[in-house]
Amino acid sequence: MQLLWQILVNGVLLGGLYALMALGLALVWGVLRIVNLAHGAFIMLGAYVCYYLFAGLGLDPFAALPVAMLVMFTFGYLVQRGVLNLVVRAPMFDTLLITFGIDVLLTYFAQLAFTADFRAINPSYAGDNFELLGATVPLVRVAAFGVALLLTFGLWLLLMRTRVGRAIRAAAQNLVAARLYGVEPRNLYAVTFGLGTALAGAAGSLYGVVSQVSPYIGSSLTGKSFAIAIIGGLDNPLYVIVGGMVLGIVEALTALYIGPTYTDVASFGILVLVLIVRPKGLLGRTA
Amino acid sequence: MTLPVRAVIVAIVVALLAAVPSIAPAIIVQFGISALIMVTLAQSWNIIGGYTGYTAFGNSVFYGLGGYGTAVAMVQFHLPFAAGLALGAALAVVFALLLGLPVLRLRGQYFAIATLGLVGVMTAIVSNLDIAGSNSGLVLPLLKGDTLFYELALALALLTTLTVAWIARSRFGFGLIAIRENEEAAEVMGIDTTLHKVLAFMLSAVFSALAGGIHAYWITYIDPAGAFDVTLNVKMIIMVVFGGPGTVLGPVVGAVLLSAISEILAVNVTSFAGMFFGLVVVIAIVFMPRGLTDVMRRFREVGWRCFQENVRTYRV
Amino acid sequence: MRHFVTCMLAALALGHSAFGKPIELGASIQLTGPLANTARYYRDGYQFAVDKINAAGGVKLGNAREKIVLRMLDNQSDTNLSVRQYVQLVTQDKVNFLLGPYASDFVLADSAIAEKYGVPMVQGGGASDQIYSRGYKYIFGTLPAATEYFGSTVEAMAGLDPVPKNVALLYADDAFDVSVAEGTRKLLGSAGFKIVVDQRYSSKTSDFNSVLSLIKSRNVDSILVAGHETEILNFIRQAKSLNVSPAMYAFTVGVQSDDFRKALGRDAEYAFGMTPWLASASLKNDYFGDGVQFAREYEKRFGYEPDYHSAAAAATVEALIKAIEKAGNLDPEKVRDALTRVDFDSVYGPIRFNTVGQIEMPQTVVQVQGGKLVPIYGPKGFIEKPLYPMPAWGKR
Repeated sequence: MQLLWQILVNGVLLGGLYALMALGLALVWGVLRIVNLAHGAFIMLGAYVCYYLFAGLGLDPFAALPVAMLVMFTFGYLVQRGVLNLVVRAPMFDTLLITFGIDVLLTYFAQLAFTADFRAINPSYAGDNFELLGATVPLVRVAAFGVALLLTFGLWLLLMRTRVGRAIRAAAQNLVAARLYGVEPRNLYAVTFGLGTALAGAAGSLYGVVSQVSPYIGSSLTGKSFAIAIIGGLDNPLYVIVGGMVLGIVEALTALYIGPTYTDVASFGILVLVLIVRPKGLLGRTA
Repeated sequence: MTLPVRAVIVAIVVALLAAVPSIAPAIIVQFGISALIMVTLAQSWNIIGGYTGYTAFGNSVFYGLGGYGTAVAMVQFHLPFAAGLALGAALAVVFALLLGLPVLRLRGQYFAIATLGLVGVMTAIVSNLDIAGSNSGLVLPLLKGDTLFYELALALALLTTLTVAWIARSRFGFGLIAIRENEEAAEVMGIDTTLHKVLAFMLSAVFSALAGGIHAYWITYIDPAGAFDVTLNVKMIIMVVFGGPGTVLGPVVGAVLLSAISEILAVNVTSFAGMFFGLVVVIAIVFMPRGLTDVMRRFREVGWRCFQENVRTYRV
Repeated sequence: MRHFVTCMLAALALGHSAFGKPIELGASIQLTGPLANTARYYRDGYQFAVDKINAAGGVKLGNAREKIVLRMLDNQSDTNLSVRQYVQLVTQDKVNFLLGPYASDFVLADSAIAEKYGVPMVQGGGASDQIYSRGYKYIFGTLPAATEYFGSTVEAMAGLDPVPKNVALLYADDAFDVSVAEGTRKLLGSAGFKIVVDQRYSSKTSDFNSVLSLIKSRNVDSILVAGHETEILNFIRQAKSLNVSPAMYAFTVGVQSDDFRKALGRDAEYAFGMTPWLASASLKNDYFGDGVQFAREYEKRFGYEPDYHSAAAAATVEALIKAIEKAGNLDPEKVRDALTRVDFDSVYGPIRFNTVGQIEMPQTVVQVQGGKLVPIYGPKGFIEKPLYPMPAWGKR
């Protein structure tokens, strides 16, 4: 019983981080209809920015996080403006292919610039933990969970209460009408993508603290982010919270009761199942 | 060109290609095998993606099942190669049927992601199967010499291309194209869309599986990551899109060209090969989203402006 | 064309004599990709050995001395690419002999190419049993059997006071670690240890929280992990954050390498590891002097401390050279036969291949004490006193 409680705690905390990872992807997918196969690469780059701020300037990773977000926002903005805007209205598989190409390029450059050595963002409190009703709770995971919730809430505020957010939502629903209202799509799309990569950057920074940083962490994280976004539902980027929790808990339980080598079977299996049974996601309105 | 003349030309080309192992150096034969396997894969994707309009991102599952069927049959049960190929193909077809039915109900990006998810599931399942060697994979029996593999790959590529040629002018094929252009209208017209889609998926599966089986025996090794390789799907799609989707010879051109480029890069520049591949993909999609044949056709009319037009059509 | 250019460049670079052409050794190594971190030990070990041998005049072939040229390709940590590259090395570049890659999975696949084309491959990167159980004649290895890796550790455990009550065995799902686990189970059984957790995990996972929680709930005394550096790093850090403190834990890799200990800092303390090699002055050799000199020169040239991977790589090259000299020519069959009879001392240890082509070498158990690697237990018993049991995380 004790063990189950610990596993559930692990799963929920992991789920929060997972949700943050998928948030940027869901935003870009839902609004821009861009299926970003390079999402994991942006997470990876965010992790490196945070790492260098930590290792080079001695910044605490949670303080470096906003900086990493800013850097990744700018980078994402440029990528969208310079490359992706050129194919936004092409058939869907064109965006899939081009983001795949970007993923290959980003991973390659990361390898070149940062070498294949794995790094860890290891602040002095990395191993600290506390007890909660019998389960050991690692401090950094709780902090990551908190940051994830904060950013998700922040995105909600942005989409619902600000001009930019309203413009993004309008453009997602009907671009022509939005343009009539004065929305400038090139800039708006770039801002949206930039927001997506900024969130990926935040997720990457947190990931670097609880795990490791290397140029190759991207691809598996892209896969997981897709699963989470689909499970929650693409209607609203905030549904990733549900998706993340489901995946986090399922993975933790699978690892314990079936075996650690089966977690991918569970994650991708759920993805396929959800698509077959309820393509709009657990929270989405059925078509 | 009349049919008999075309047939003679094809026969001559095939005969020349078949003679390659006896006259060309080993490195050319090896390139030939890889290229021919890619032709088969490109054509099999063409059936479901090019003609039916369903962008499948999971054909590597069939390729992997074909490879594993062959490997398990030969390594664990000591069966001959032909039996292995048959087992691999059977596995793939059954998979296409059972999972095609639910998955083909999805459209557009959901279908693509579902097939991508299937790749992930199969990779994870196979890496837990001891009979398949788990994550370490299987080492197949050795067969010295490449001639058998070359001729088999050539025969398979030919068979697949002929099948696509048949599809292009058959009622079945017209049904597929109707589904691609407007699925609702096709339904209304009385076409059994489910039957057509699943059959296309199964055809696609058979050829991909056979290609996978040949490849596995050729390089004497198979493991989950290589068999179900996700980038293989992307390569397939790029080759078809590059050459011209929904045509008979487009995928052949695309596959041969891209194989050649990638081989030259891999041999000469190794580390940079990956980067060039990514760069080629990005540039190609931006400037040639509808393929080489499309560009070539429009180039004759408007010259260099066709690239500009491509960008203008799809940018925001 | 490429072959010609390589030869010309090699000849110019080495001031080669007018007769004969240099001996070409081909290898496909993980110069980039997730395994590059460890594979660089092989890249540098091979190069170091080749340069030393060339500096000493080269390989004695009949009356002449020939230089060696190393042709290394980057397989980007992709097994399938490495297979294709070995085919290329043999059929297109026509190298004389092959040096192996890092990692059993790769060696397993690549050795099939050596066997297919009848070109001897000597490797120091793969230890799994599967490599040697296929009856292949052209593959030789300088890493001792995977199944024996924890042999010395289990012996040492039986000599600890108090003896651990139970054991958790964790292993990654690649050929090498699965082999290690199979062997370790038998070793633990014979020594009377009770295995209460026995789990295989995926090499791609970075999350050990579930298995660590399980270990904690079962009050496990000792943990044995067979995996890769990245995973072991994660494991230790997560053990700390989940407050899992066994009396001891031992790992197949990581502990003996410098950058691993640097990455963990003080958290690396008390961890047990193993190595078939420690830089020692008693390991004398014609080309390198002795083990200590080898380590010093290596570190000076490449900027990091060598570990057994580097030593094994150097010994691998030397084994091939000794076999060529024994055979007196470059005929693959004759060199292959000569390899079965090599018997010499290298900075890695005595080099002798058994009937299936594998070396037999005992592992030394080491422990991180005060930031340094201390040898604890070897073939002759305890060397230094182990720090046991490990204090809980909060009390360090």
